[in-house]
Amino acid sequence: MTEIKDLNRFWNAYKESRLGLIGLVILLFFVTLAVFAPYIAPYDPHEMFKPMEHPSSDHLLGTNDIGQDILSELIYGARVSLFIAFFVSVVSGIIGTAFGLLSGYFEMFGFFLMRIVDAFLAIPRLPLIIVIAAFMRPSIWNLIFIFIILGWPITTRIIRSEVLSLRTRNYVEAARMVGAPDTYILMKHILPNVFPLLVVRLIIEASHVIIAESSLSFLGLGDPVVKSWGMILHYAFVYPTIFISDLWMWWMLPAGLCITLTILSLTFIGYALEELVNPRLRGMTRI
Amino acid sequence: MHRITKITGYVAIILVVLSFNFFLPRLMPGDPLSFLTGAPGMDMPIVLDEETRAKLLTYYGLDKPLSQQFYDYMLGILHGDLGWSIYHNAPVSDILIGALKWTFLLVGTSTALYMVLGILLGAISAWNRGGKSDVGLLVSLLSIGSFPPFFLGMLFIILFSVKLNLFPAFGAQTPFMEYSSLLEEASDILYHLFLPVTTLVISHIGGVYLLMRNSMLNVIGEDYILTARAKGMAEWYIMRKHATKNALLPIITMIALRTGFMIGGTILVETVFAYPGVGRLLFDAVMYRDYPLLQGAFLIITLVIIAANFVADMVYVQLDPRLKHD
Repeated sequence: MTEIKDLNRFWNAYKESRLGLIGLVILLFFVTLAVFAPYIAPYDPHEMFKPMEHPSSDHLLGTNDIGQDILSELIYGARVSLFIAFFVSVVSGIIGTAFGLLSGYFEMFGFFLMRIVDAFLAIPRLPLIIVIAAFMRPSIWNLIFIFIILGWPITTRIIRSEVLSLRTRNYVEAARMVGAPDTYILMKHILPNVFPLLVVRLIIEASHVIIAESSLSFLGLGDPVVKSWGMILHYAFVYPTIFISDLWMWWMLPAGLCITLTILSLTFIGYALEELVNPRLRGMTRI
Repeated sequence: MHRITKITGYVAIILVVLSFNFFLPRLMPGDPLSFLTGAPGMDMPIVLDEETRAKLLTYYGLDKPLSQQFYDYMLGILHGDLGWSIYHNAPVSDILIGALKWTFLLVGTSTALYMVLGILLGAISAWNRGGKSDVGLLVSLLSIGSFPPFFLGMLFIILFSVKLNLFPAFGAQTPFMEYSSLLEEASDILYHLFLPVTTLVISHIGGVYLLMRNSMLNVIGEDYILTARAKGMAEWYIMRKHATKNALLPIITMIALRTGFMIGGTILVETVFAYPGVGRLLFDAVMYRDYPLLQGAFLIITLVIIAANFVADMVYVQLDPRLKHD
């Protein structure tokens, strides 16, 4: 019962934010594309027709250099980006939260773990991803693995600093004094309170993963079998006449806009949620 | 004390990065040379002649025991030896030194510009919190920040180079140009720098802006601002003297963190504009599976970022008096 009430209250506060609503609508649009791709897309994205066709009623956005329907590639591309983003942010979120809770609660463990986190955060992320990806087989699961390995440290740091402040609260002290076990305190009193912060973090991580995946694919390090938006841009970019003909209008622009709009929707949602979580930002700008 | 812990931390990180660079090619299935001849999914096959193969074998030193390989590798790095580039057929360190100046120019100019603009706009936004200019700035900066840098760069090339013919689409200088004066050379370099810098500034300004705005909003909620108001000080004076100064502190840490992030954008932007920096080298190295160059470029980029972090840490200690007595 209380959960439903909480959810209702949350939704009532969230829908006050116009940015948040716009973000949600855009994201839902792409989620729909991803889920129903086989029913929406006019063709199989791997099926080959006549190459380099201009837009026509048969191919609304034309075909690429090997004759695949670009519109179908775009629709299936939503699956790749959203799946990777969702999977990576959830898994690295779980790992990051577990480490964050433990390192905030147990001091020695926290000290050592934070040195590892420091090392991770000091190394620039994209060059590291590029180097690892260049040495591994370019497959979607390898990419996901790399993104998870590099994603958890930031979550851990954020959750840890929240736990450090939560553990000095009166109700936690009280629970400890009456002899509640550590696991009970962590799960019952601390986890629910870091949850809002975690949701914001997941959204931001998801948008970082989408940028990273499309950047890697753009550089030619993506999974060659999987059709992602970044991959479409890669083949468009290396095509000799992309800039000096009209090709860019249907080959490059739509794929780029799909990436941009997805990141935009996540940014807006993240901002709206952050306003709800951070009381000092709340109520100052409602947009 | 604080300083010693920090310095030890940085030394440890550098050792981790060096070891990572050493072990990565050796831990992958097969030996490092097998990537070159049979890597799946690569764009172009590489045919190794005997001479290059021999050079690569000495670079990796695979015939020696691992400890000897590691020792040689570390010794080589201390002497500035980063191996031999297969594609360029030249020492990796020579190629990197030539490219570094362009990357420094690009990253330095962009960082200076987006920091100043971001801080300024963030302060203006927080100052007018809830007002029209705040909402306008917030929405527009969040929106343009959503464009991936490589896409933005491609759009700029089409708009400003191809359609309007205002700026060059690639390179850092006009090829085969004979400059009559230093001024002419400088203006040609700036002319080529314009589009890549604009792309980087636009894709990074949002983060600083948002941080500055949030930081200002937090400071404005502090008691000492209330006190200043109660004393009847002018609003602009409070904002400038009290709020902005204190809000700037978290931004300093941000510069270092952002520089790491920025490097990612630089790789993409240099690739799109064929700008001859380290990022472009990294892309070429990936395209041609030039592993020694790839690893050398990665190493240089990482060491520079770590150095930037270190400087920011030291500056931060100077600025925040609370840390000095630790």
